Amino acid sequence: MLDEIHDSDARPLISQVQPMEILMQEYSSNPNFIRKMEWLKKKGWHGVRRTKGDGDCFYRSFAFAWVERILRAVDRDLAVAAAISTLHTTWLGLADVGFDVEILEDFYDVLRTLVEQVITPEPGGQTLNASLLLEAFTKPEASNAIVSYVRMLTSAELRKNQKEYAAFVVHPETQESMPIPEFCNQFVDGMGREADHVQMQALAKAMGVNLSVAYLDGRLGQDDAVDFVKFENGGGNDVNGIEEVVLLYRPGHYDILEHRAHEHRSSAASALVTPSVME
Amino acid sequence: MASISSRRLAKELRDLQTNGTPTGIELIAADNWQSWVMGIEVLGDTLYAGEKFALLFRFESQYPISSPIVTFIPNYRPPVGNPSSFSPQAVYGVPMHPHVYSNGHICASILGSDWSPVLTVATVCITLQSMLASCKKKERPVDNDRYVLTAPDNPKKASHPDAFPTLTLTFFPDSIPL
Repeated sequence: MLDEIHDSDARPLISQVQPMEILMQEYSSNPNFIRKMEWLKKKGWHGVRRTKGDGDCFYRSFAFAWVERILRAVDRDLAVAAAISTLHTTWLGLADVGFDVEILEDFYDVLRTLVEQVITPEPGGQTLNASLLLEAFTKPEASNAIVSYVRMLTSAELRKNQKEYAAFVVHPETQESMPIPEFCNQFVDGMGREADHVQMQALAKAMGVNLSVAYLDGRLGQDDAVDFVKFENGGGNDVNGIEEVVLLYRPGHYDILEHRAHEHRSSAASALVTPSVME
Repeated sequence: MASISSRRLAKELRDLQTNGTPTGIELIAADNWQSWVMGIEVLGDTLYAGEKFALLFRFESQYPISSPIVTFIPNYRPPVGNPSSFSPQAVYGVPMHPHVYSNGHICASILGSDWSPVLTVATVCITLQSMLASCKKKERPVDNDRYVLTAPDNPKKASHPDAFPTLTLTFFPDSIPL
């Protein structure tokens, strides 16, 4: 699986914010997509932060956007405290489904350290900023550790609340219902397995995050509108000062949807985009 | 800072050394973060009663995100002074099993598509132990001769004919009562 990632294109694991027009160019032969992207722009969504299409795009997008929301929170202290508390509780909760928390601690540490760095400078370093965040998520070791960790949180949430999710857990190809432990083994735990509705619902719930996913497809409804599917987990637009995570779905792929068309100039200048080649 | 891979392996090793290995599993050699040798024995009334096998674990730098490369070692002679019950005077072979090739390669999903980072060296050993324990007939995979002739050193890079499916083998953590 990782060899495939290695061999595929040199696209970074996650990119800087790009204007919607770049995506529109790729769909130039598909007028329905173009009209929907125009609609998104009219609603104030001017850009996307793109993730690599390696099967981990939902998890990577979600985790990145979540940390970025914490970084951009008006009350950072509150956001960080709430996020750390969630991370700690969910980490301990992994034991409830038989996962070895000691074994997963290294992955947990990577994500927790990044969140803590929002207000606490790392030893001999600085506090987190936009370019350091991007750098962290473009380095395969840290980025994949975070992806793997949020996969485990998703898996634990599904395994723990089987009654709640059982009706929605189906084999992605046959659409037949299947036992949750088996589903998690095959379609959640390992890297490179794409997320479907139920994984998104479980991760947003486990993390207590409001998640909204814009479904961009070729079907035209009323007014070229794009459907946003909402996974609400308390609060209004934000939970503990952490704003809703908004992703853009195109068939087979997730990116982060952005109001901005570009990264802020100050951070863009210093941002380091390392190639995403595995070491 | 040590890599995630070496920190993780250090933790697994410490756990095996302080809390002991699972029944029928032994640590033969673990001197570095690149490869370990584990011993397995299938206990109880099985086709492999009285036999012991050595497993080579090779760890890539992306471990535990990527699965370890795990193979049975053909004609294995344990090192003198190793901490296990494996004798340096004896030679250990590859179990005769429909999903184990004579070169030691194992065709099991847990080592490929069903790998997840919650799995460890110990849980892989336990899973392979139960794969052997449930064996009904000692025989080689149908395509053994052809496969062994062309197989690369790393079984992850091998291609298998569709006619010979990978054994679906998963390790379930303690299941939660509904």
